[in-house]
Amino acid sequence: MIPLTILAGYLGSGKTTLLNNLLRQTSKPIGVLINDFGELNIDSELIKNKDELTISLTNGCVCCNLNDDLGSSLEFISKQGIEGAVIEASGVAMPIKMSNYGQTWPGFTFNGTIAVVEGQTIKRLLLDKFVSNTVKSQILQSDLVYLNRHSEEDIKLISSLSKEIVLEENVSNFTDLVFNIDSTIQHKTNLDIVDHDNFYSNVFITEKPIEKKAVRDLIANNPNVERVKGWISNKINETWLVQATKSGCNFSLSNNDTKTRLVIIHTKEISLDALAAEL
Amino acid sequence: MIRVYTAKSVITMNASMPRAQAVAIRDGIILETGTLESMQPWLSKFEYEIDDQFKESIIVPGLIDPHLHPSMAAVLLPTHFITAMEWKFPWGTTPATTSAEKFDERLAEAISKPTHKDLFITWGHHDLWHGAMSRERINSIEKKKPIVVWNRSFHELCMNDGALEYLGINESEVGNASQIDFEKGRFFELGLGYAIQKLNPFILDPEIFKEGLLKLKDVVHFGGQTTIADMAVGLFDFDNELNMQKLLYENEDTPFRVELIAHATALIGRAGGTNEKTEQLIASLEKHNSHRLNFRKRVKLFTDGAFFAQAAQLLEPGYIDGHQGEWLSTPQQFEDIARTYWNKDYAIHVHVTGDLGLELAIDTLEKLQSEKPRFNHGFTLEHFGFSTPEQIHRLAKLGANVSANAYYVHELSDLYSNHTVGFERASSMARVGSCFREGVTTSLHSDFTMAPAQPLMSMWVAVNRINEKGNTMCAEECLTPQQGLEAITINAARVLGMDHEIGSIRAGKKADLTVLSEDPLKIDPIDIKDIEVQATLFEGKVFNIDQK
Repeated sequence: MIPLTILAGYLGSGKTTLLNNLLRQTSKPIGVLINDFGELNIDSELIKNKDELTISLTNGCVCCNLNDDLGSSLEFISKQGIEGAVIEASGVAMPIKMSNYGQTWPGFTFNGTIAVVEGQTIKRLLLDKFVSNTVKSQILQSDLVYLNRHSEEDIKLISSLSKEIVLEENVSNFTDLVFNIDSTIQHKTNLDIVDHDNFYSNVFITEKPIEKKAVRDLIANNPNVERVKGWISNKINETWLVQATKSGCNFSLSNNDTKTRLVIIHTKEISLDALAAEL
Repeated sequence: MIRVYTAKSVITMNASMPRAQAVAIRDGIILETGTLESMQPWLSKFEYEIDDQFKESIIVPGLIDPHLHPSMAAVLLPTHFITAMEWKFPWGTTPATTSAEKFDERLAEAISKPTHKDLFITWGHHDLWHGAMSRERINSIEKKKPIVVWNRSFHELCMNDGALEYLGINESEVGNASQIDFEKGRFFELGLGYAIQKLNPFILDPEIFKEGLLKLKDVVHFGGQTTIADMAVGLFDFDNELNMQKLLYENEDTPFRVELIAHATALIGRAGGTNEKTEQLIASLEKHNSHRLNFRKRVKLFTDGAFFAQAAQLLEPGYIDGHQGEWLSTPQQFEDIARTYWNKDYAIHVHVTGDLGLELAIDTLEKLQSEKPRFNHGFTLEHFGFSTPEQIHRLAKLGANVSANAYYVHELSDLYSNHTVGFERASSMARVGSCFREGVTTSLHSDFTMAPAQPLMSMWVAVNRINEKGNTMCAEECLTPQQGLEAITINAARVLGMDHEIGSIRAGKKADLTVLSEDPLKIDPIDIKDIEVQATLFEGKVFNIDQK
């Protein structure tokens, strides 16, 4: 299974710069898909794997475009012996929709979504008549925000939308940033993040065996539960890595020998005990 | 030789002579309309023949569908339709199927017929009418033979055991996918993308694609159209779409012309990545022009997502469930692309579905007008799902046209009222009455396969605004029959920049006529959709339609 990371963020936010930094540093063969039209400003010399593809506009739905370019490109690169893949999403792509590629397309496992945010323009974009909702959703729906060219004020602004923020100056290892999103998140919780209005997160640990269906039901039946991630251990002692959102649940077998540990992210105060009883 | 066709009445759509009794034609051009007496200056000087085969019928200008997608039609028409609504086709009517039992019955019946195709695809399944679909349910009808049930929304399909096996889809590959339910054989959203990938060799097979385009040829003739516009050449595969249409439509037995409008963003990659290079490529497409198929200075752009998929971008207060619509490019990119074509004097056709998508198009037009003022520029808002009265006032001032898909009102207004945006906005979707009141040049289109390719059906919806539940939605936005007929003739010609040649019956225009069984301006408006199209004339040549 090839880990797939999505880079989201509005036009000009610094996605390509981040991608260039990654390609400059990494020694891994990586597949890169760029989901946008227009001139390709990535330095092709930097791309280790020569099968990189530029994907033209696919930000429609499949009913209007029977050639799912992104899907067919994923299919193609999955056979090129790569160890990781990155999709640079278009400036208006919705992370949750994009993450489905990682969760649905055979051969890939979903690593996470990074919203790239540029400090200098974010305040204006969040007030823009046309894209304020799009940009806000990009931040809310991503696992991690990478904030660049920012001021102290920008950190406060973004903190009101996301708990998981990585600042440009704190990143030296781009491979880790892009391919180990979970460890980065752990690391970043040390940051002094102001109180969060929209989401609560709780850790749930149990010795009781938990089945995949229970996680599916939990997220489907509780409107306030936005995301569940972590590991479950089932009756026959298999450990599964869980990444579940409202739009779908992804499970992959894990070598990690652990008991059930889940992070449950929800929108309203809810009783963890009540949730646990459902599992 | 002059040929004079007489009729019970000729509706000319030429305001200076709205009605006539006869049309005189020579070499594909209309010489004169009027009465046999008023035509004497011509008839006394040249040889002529009077043809009264339409003497009991009504002649109207050749109908125009200014926005459909031949390539989508080519994919869908070879499938077997089992639908909740009745669809009329030249090869027979697909009856309304409104229950789960009936659906299964019709599917079993269709499968039992012999076919040369390995894979059987049916289109039109709708949960609300036909109940949930599953692998097991299809298996209980037929397990071995590969069967695909494709949802009316296009966003979901189901396969039986036979199809999964035939396409080589197995649990180890897709068992964990979040938008594929292997157990139920169900593929949706991106899972659908995966399934389509596997199905593409069959649905885009050149022979089947050809079969689809040939079926569309009959469908267009049956609907009475003498001009259609392919409003996004390049949707799937530019060369294939153009070459196949040329091969199959550029011949004497084709009773219509196809106006071609290139899909700008689909061609960017091929042109070399910039808007300037893409514009040069599009400008060069006229070299492909032939008698029936023509590119002109027109281009297709997009703002927001699909109307059927609830991806339209909405102004406040948005969707009831709070979900967001989609942009198909960033507003800046849209503006840059639009500026490129505006400055080169193109007629720009913009796909807009929601009122925020429309707002972007209008704001952009306003900016471009102040940078480089243009008159009669042909900037056209296509689809026109949600709009506000104030936007219509603004777009009228800016000189824009509207080409609306009124069928939305019929199929979606009830559903969108209850579940999507509420009654006020849902009932006023496709607000075309206001467009006429503001003096906007307004046409109607099918966007086939989003609605039946029958202009009289589009006219019927716009005039009556009756939804699938039988309720009238926003009578204030109904068109008069006169306006409805303008919208599928002269106004549609204006929207395509062709009104000097087609769209009305007057001396000098191409002799494109449609022959009807009833008078669409005098019949009870509720019966407009049931008027029979008996024949069409394309550039003077008669093409009769067999009634089935």
